[in-house]
Amino acid sequence: MVSSQSSNITLDGEPVSFSAGETLYEIAKRQETIIPTLCYDPRLEAFGSCRLCMVEVDGIRNPVASCTTKASDGMVVRTTSPAIEKHRKVLLEMVASENPDIAVDPLRGYASQELGTLVDDYRADTGRFKGRQSGQSFQDDDNPFILRDYDRCISCYRCVRVCAEQEGDYAINIRNRGFNTQITTEFSGTLKDSSCTFCGQCVQTCPTGALADKKAMRAENDPGEIKKTRSVCPYCGVGCSVDLLSKDDRLVGVQPAMDGPANQGALCIKGQFAFDFVQHNDRLGSPLIRNEAGELEKTSWEIALDRAADGFREAMKTHGRQSIYGVASGRTPSEADYMMQKFIRAGFGTNQIDNCSRA
Amino acid sequence: MKISANNESIIDQWKEEPAALLGVLHAFHDRDGYLSEAVIRDVASGLKIPLAELYGTITFYHHFSQSPPGQSAPRVCTGPVCCLNGSAQLLNALKDQGATAMACAGRCDDPIPVLKGHHALRGTDNASLEEKATPLPARNPGNIEECIFANIRIPNRAKFEGYRDSGGYLAVDKMLNEMSPSQVLELMTQSKLAGRGGAGFPTGVKWKAVAEAPGNPKSIVCNADEGEPGCFKDRAILDYDPHAVIEGMIIAAYATGAAQGFIYLRYEYPQSFALLEEAIREASEAHYLGDGIGGKEFRFTLHLRRGAGAYICGEEGSLLNSLEGKHPFPRNRPPFPVTHGFNNLPTAVNNVETLAAVPQILAKGPEWYQSLGLNEHAGTKLISLSGDIEKPGNYEIPIGLPLRTLLYDWAGGPKAGRSIQAVTMAGLSGGYLAGDDLEITLDDPCIRSKGSFPGAGGIIVYDDSRNMVEAAHEAMAFFAEESCGKCFPCRIGTERLTERLARDAGPTSITDWNAEVDDIGTTMMATSACGLGMAAPNITKSLAKYFPDQVTKHVQKSP
Repeated sequence: MVSSQSSNITLDGEPVSFSAGETLYEIAKRQETIIPTLCYDPRLEAFGSCRLCMVEVDGIRNPVASCTTKASDGMVVRTTSPAIEKHRKVLLEMVASENPDIAVDPLRGYASQELGTLVDDYRADTGRFKGRQSGQSFQDDDNPFILRDYDRCISCYRCVRVCAEQEGDYAINIRNRGFNTQITTEFSGTLKDSSCTFCGQCVQTCPTGALADKKAMRAENDPGEIKKTRSVCPYCGVGCSVDLLSKDDRLVGVQPAMDGPANQGALCIKGQFAFDFVQHNDRLGSPLIRNEAGELEKTSWEIALDRAADGFREAMKTHGRQSIYGVASGRTPSEADYMMQKFIRAGFGTNQIDNCSRA
Repeated sequence: MKISANNESIIDQWKEEPAALLGVLHAFHDRDGYLSEAVIRDVASGLKIPLAELYGTITFYHHFSQSPPGQSAPRVCTGPVCCLNGSAQLLNALKDQGATAMACAGRCDDPIPVLKGHHALRGTDNASLEEKATPLPARNPGNIEECIFANIRIPNRAKFEGYRDSGGYLAVDKMLNEMSPSQVLELMTQSKLAGRGGAGFPTGVKWKAVAEAPGNPKSIVCNADEGEPGCFKDRAILDYDPHAVIEGMIIAAYATGAAQGFIYLRYEYPQSFALLEEAIREASEAHYLGDGIGGKEFRFTLHLRRGAGAYICGEEGSLLNSLEGKHPFPRNRPPFPVTHGFNNLPTAVNNVETLAAVPQILAKGPEWYQSLGLNEHAGTKLISLSGDIEKPGNYEIPIGLPLRTLLYDWAGGPKAGRSIQAVTMAGLSGGYLAGDDLEITLDDPCIRSKGSFPGAGGIIVYDDSRNMVEAAHEAMAFFAEESCGKCFPCRIGTERLTERLARDAGPTSITDWNAEVDDIGTTMMATSACGLGMAAPNITKSLAKYFPDQVTKHVQKSP
């Protein structure tokens, strides 16, 4: 229960009130105080592995991870100090040392620039602490969606955690320990042979681009800037918010909107990866009707709808109203479903209505 | 998925047990010698664990094999003391049997341990390998009074009869007839007994917190995952006085209101496992475990679980995750196990040595226990002494004893013609002490004043013939091998420090080398998520402090 008494901490010299259960990281974020982190995703349980979000708390000898430390009344917290900044820089140099390079194309995924941005912000020397590389890419996983470029993995396990906590798939986990940890499916197999549903959430939470969107990466070398356009996924009635990625007015990829009210960063395989139809050569650009020879030819919506209406009338006349059966698409929202049933019930006088998602 | 008929009975036997996963995996590992894919699939199905998660968890443990010859192939200890005793040659000699290396297996007083099947052999070469009992701790020369070891040399003490005949279980009898749980808590607090696994937290305070915490069933967990290199004291207690630990757990259960207990024993002690199984059976038959203990309404069941080769499982959060069948990463603290322990319920996690002291304290009183220490220090501490010393072994010292007294008067000093160059503290975790800092007394404040800590009480001696950079490299390689891989500073830092100590990578300028090693160590100490990463840099920090010349020589020698 939230205490009725007000509780305060001192954050970088300013008193700030908080509610019970809030972590220092959450309070700082609310106050627009930026604390660096690599293992944090607000949708997931705080994990406390990257240690970049360390802050100093009066009375505690070592700095604490702000993401896992809950505020208590009277805490005096400093989110930065020369010692803290030094630790953060050393940590970033250590992380950078386990990967071949840091810069990756932003088409790889929503969070793919996080490591590169921090390394730049802290002017971390990526050549310091040279040594053995950690992750090993899984090049033989030939699925068409997710690149498993673990050479760039920093073992933050956001992918493992989003798969379990958000998607509920538990398709991937951690193999071995220490510097030899690898992200793995059961028995080190391919994603196709695991319980992965290719929702792509692991790709979008990866802070280094080690997991990457293979479909978007097809456009890596295309000219033009990446433009993001907020839209709604057309596939089903849930209404997941998406950001459509385009280059030179061509759709090149889809990213989930982390602030989408219906999906909060989640998508399914279709919304995430199945966008090729948009620019496909076979896609219908206008209505088609059959001519007298039985061949399809282009026509206007007016003529096409009239032709459809004629078909309905003909069926009803010949076979009676019970011959009409309305099935709403799984992609329709409730309003369209309402329209469909009204059309069938009032228009044809039958109650034979259904929805394809019923099965 | 359908579980195959030949796996079903083992899974059925275990699936309703508390802390089932380790038990069921060991049952199959023992049956087949390794864990096959079919078995892993069936266990996942039977215990309702996602397959990828179970697979990942199994790969975490060093000793779970997934292919033949599996556990029938020899595993040779290459810990720091066995390295000094020729473990590389022994490993090489057993290569044709498929031998592999394992981290310190806790037999530094009688090297070199080799695990083969269910057998823990020891010997210094192929011909001398044999199964042999744990060395019995020697008496100290000054006849200084002991607590834990006071009765350990009584013949047959490991059996119920022998234990009972030498005063065993009288403390429980007395407690059940004369004392309330709160009186036990009060007495333990007064005794100033503190956690002997290394953390030094007052036992009475811990138990009181468990007693007062909401939620049931509460648990007592005995941490017998003695994995620190150079530490082998718990093995002596478990092998010669297992009922003392059980009695300590019964007292802890009564004081805290816990209904169940677990002994989490390290994999590398198969003899201790068999002895404990027998002791638990005897105690149950004598109605000291189970329902209605001592004719009272007091129920306490005790379960024995075996680790599978992971140093980090000695860290209490990892241990609890391991018991619960989860990936054995340490837990974020707070909350602490006293409120959120086994299955997220109140739990007292106590070291073997701590629990073994409890019956003595209850029988003889808190003042007696306190008085065993020297000066202002309360009680005793077991020290596992090994390495380049005449009489390695376990010693029970009064806290505050001068290190020099232990090394020279009790343990006979260095080998003939040699002098002591350095000693480790806390096994390896406390790093090295050398030079004038060998003139310490063995108590927490004094050891901490030298930048180290006593930990679980392992002391490894290095004489003047040893290369300390090589020793430091072996130590850091151990921490790198055992790092769990959760937090960045430890996962990457232990690897980078190992490489620099091996000269596999890193600067060739001594100034840059020192700056890199110091920066990595400082950040590891300040930011690591658990004690492993915080302590590992004690190795490099103390190496730089005491042996700068050896470091310079190491960095500047031509490759």
